[in-house]
Amino acid sequence: MTMDRSLLLISIAGERAAIASEIIRSVVELDRITPVPQAPEHIAGLAALRSRAMTVVDCRRALELPAAAEAGSLAVVVDLDEFLYALVVDAVEEVVPFDTEPNEIRADLLPGWARAALGMVETSAGPALVLDPVKLIEGPAKRKAA
Amino acid sequence: MEDLLAEFIAESRDMLEALSGEIVAWEADPADRARLDAIFRFVHTVKGNCGFFEFPRLEALSHAAEDALADVRAGRRQADQGLVSAVLAIIDRIAEIVAAIGDGGEQPDADDAPLIAALDGTAEEGPAAPAAAASTPAQRRQSATPRTIRLPVDLLDRVMSGVSDMAVARNDLARRIAQHAGETGLEAPFNRLSAILADLREAITRIRMQRIETLFSGFPRMVRDLSHELGKQVMVEIESGDVEIDREMIEVVRDPLVHLIRNAVDHGIEPPAERQAAGKREIGMLQISARQTGSEIRIGIVDDGKGIDGDKLVEKAVAAGILSAEEAKVLNARERNALICEPGLSTAKEVTAVSGRGVGMDVVRANIEKIGGSLMIDSTPGAGTRMMLNVPLTLSIVPSLTIGVGQQTFAIPRSYVEEIVRASSEEMDSAQIGGREFITVRGQRIACVGLDEILGVESTCPREARLYVLIRLVGGDLFGLAVDAIHNHEELVVKPIAPVLMACGFYVGTTQLDDGSPVPMLDVSGVARSAGMIREVKDRSLRKELRQDREDERELAPALLFRGFDGAERAVEMDSVRRIEKLPIAALRAAADGTAQAVIDGRIVPLTGLGGFKPEGEEINVFRVGEEGHERAYAYAEIVDLCEYDPTEVVRAEGRSGQRLALIGGRPVELFDAATLSATPAIFAEAQA
Repeated sequence: MTMDRSLLLISIAGERAAIASEIIRSVVELDRITPVPQAPEHIAGLAALRSRAMTVVDCRRALELPAAAEAGSLAVVVDLDEFLYALVVDAVEEVVPFDTEPNEIRADLLPGWARAALGMVETSAGPALVLDPVKLIEGPAKRKAA
Repeated sequence: MEDLLAEFIAESRDMLEALSGEIVAWEADPADRARLDAIFRFVHTVKGNCGFFEFPRLEALSHAAEDALADVRAGRRQADQGLVSAVLAIIDRIAEIVAAIGDGGEQPDADDAPLIAALDGTAEEGPAAPAAAASTPAQRRQSATPRTIRLPVDLLDRVMSGVSDMAVARNDLARRIAQHAGETGLEAPFNRLSAILADLREAITRIRMQRIETLFSGFPRMVRDLSHELGKQVMVEIESGDVEIDREMIEVVRDPLVHLIRNAVDHGIEPPAERQAAGKREIGMLQISARQTGSEIRIGIVDDGKGIDGDKLVEKAVAAGILSAEEAKVLNARERNALICEPGLSTAKEVTAVSGRGVGMDVVRANIEKIGGSLMIDSTPGAGTRMMLNVPLTLSIVPSLTIGVGQQTFAIPRSYVEEIVRASSEEMDSAQIGGREFITVRGQRIACVGLDEILGVESTCPREARLYVLIRLVGGDLFGLAVDAIHNHEELVVKPIAPVLMACGFYVGTTQLDDGSPVPMLDVSGVARSAGMIREVKDRSLRKELRQDREDERELAPALLFRGFDGAERAVEMDSVRRIEKLPIAALRAAADGTAQAVIDGRIVPLTGLGGFKPEGEEINVFRVGEEGHERAYAYAEIVDLCEYDPTEVVRAEGRSGQRLALIGGRPVELFDAATLSATPAIFAEAQA
């Protein structure tokens, strides 16, 4: 079942995280983002991958972390239910093989990380949180409008 | 007729092609019931079509084969080799004749009688079969009518997305060529490539699409026959809005639509006498319209019949145990109407032959939901019903308008756009009423909203340079959308937008401009809803009258048609109205003697219109009339419409009340002006009685 799986190691706000590579389509440098007014805060807008539109997700905001000093343009493109999403991360490190299930996390994480994390893995490069792209795209639960 | 004939030929050919395998299998095993059924269906269809087109030879052949096969199906006869051969010979002959009709050539000159006789089983062999088979290929090669092929949809999708990718690559190439100084020698071949690509794109994108008119074209006849049968008079207005729909989708929505239309004629529109008694025109109106947005096609069926009795529905639903009395209390109007789609709940007193007992609204809704669509029902008892069918499109080309606000670009489907008016234009007039901007275009007053406001985008354009896009919603409501700029008219390939963005309620899809940049397509009704521009269903016939009046080019005066707390509709001259606003209930005071006052801008102003009504909620609608210092406020339940009347037609009612009556929408409506409102308060006692 879990043979030949691998993880893409990424870095967000100085922390190492991982995304299962089977749903990753590519890693791109976003050149232009079209903002979408009234969109949830963690959605940076729309960008194009050839003739397809991608919804750009700002992972820092999705994880309820402070914004980067300089807006990043490196994105991991994932394909979910026939929609493309560009997850903006700070850096992409490497692909590591991984063939077991992630471990349960036995500590309290920051709420954003806790919501999006599937579990923790020990990789050759050190520990990393495996993130669920679905949760990143969903973003933080909507706070009631004041 | 030409079209129908071409369709018949194409359909028969398709069936023949599909059948060829079945025939071979049936020949091998005459007892195979499934094969037998397929062949039976074919001859049956041909027979049905022939009656329509008058092809006596085809009819005789198919009829004979159908009879023989029916006997086999009913067990009256065994399918033996002789019968199989005879049937095959007939099918081959049908193929020959169909091919000849398709080519527009002579029909094969052969005697059909032996073939038909062979079916009786008296003839031992079917000698015509091989001969006929040999002659068909030659004829097929020179066919004149375009032939059809069937392709898997994903293959088409792949081709389409490939062409889109190519267009983006072409644009990239164009930019790079432009960056080169001087002649590159690439211009001519590049231009040729662009032209070919444009052509290809056009052809590819049309492949899956068919105009929705082809679906709608049969409806007027259907409504005509139906209304005759029911002794009703119905006028049908069809507006297909240049909408193109996926070929597959046409077949899927046909049945639900037919059912909804039948319902509207059967249960919605009343018999002429009943209509007359209700003060309506004898002829009922049925409007069928379509609009295309990003990922949805919206089909509206609007009638001006008796509407849906929401209370009765709720009563029945509670009685049937579908929902509890508590649940029933919190339903809004639309949810109450939606109860009509619950199995076993129909408000019609008698089941008629037309709408029948068979398929109910529950099946209609289930079928629509199965394809990811939805059905919304708005109804005003006594005035009509609006059924709105939303069906999705996985992929569509939408003729669009690209508009700009600030630095942002958006697309809107052109089918919604009625007109574009410049704020500085001579024929336009703008006014602020009750915190809402209204513009007047050729005597019609239209509520407006700025797209910048709705989306929270900063407009970079001075107010007087703005443009108003007048948008006609499905169902007829018109409103103005103020934008900074109109960029372009173009055909855009619109794709679904991610659910996380769909959830904002303002977008229906995404599209790409020529430079490859993605642009969201606005959900026009979402925008209208958020701006409070969608009102209840109104009397369609009233709008009709209004439009006709305008055509007559009489001098008309604008008026505000409103509904009071007693439920009656009245009108007030627009020129008399100083302001329309909402007041907090706390600012009202009602005395025991029926008089009331309101505090407005720090002054006590006499308030009328309440009657004995105790307002609930936080705010109440009022309009103000009269000069400064002699102001009066009038409370009302809701605005029905901004309408027009002919001042020369205003009459004064006889008797003590002395009401002024204006003709609005063909009905007499009590009309107020500033003078009647402020000078003779006694009138209100009458009016509210």
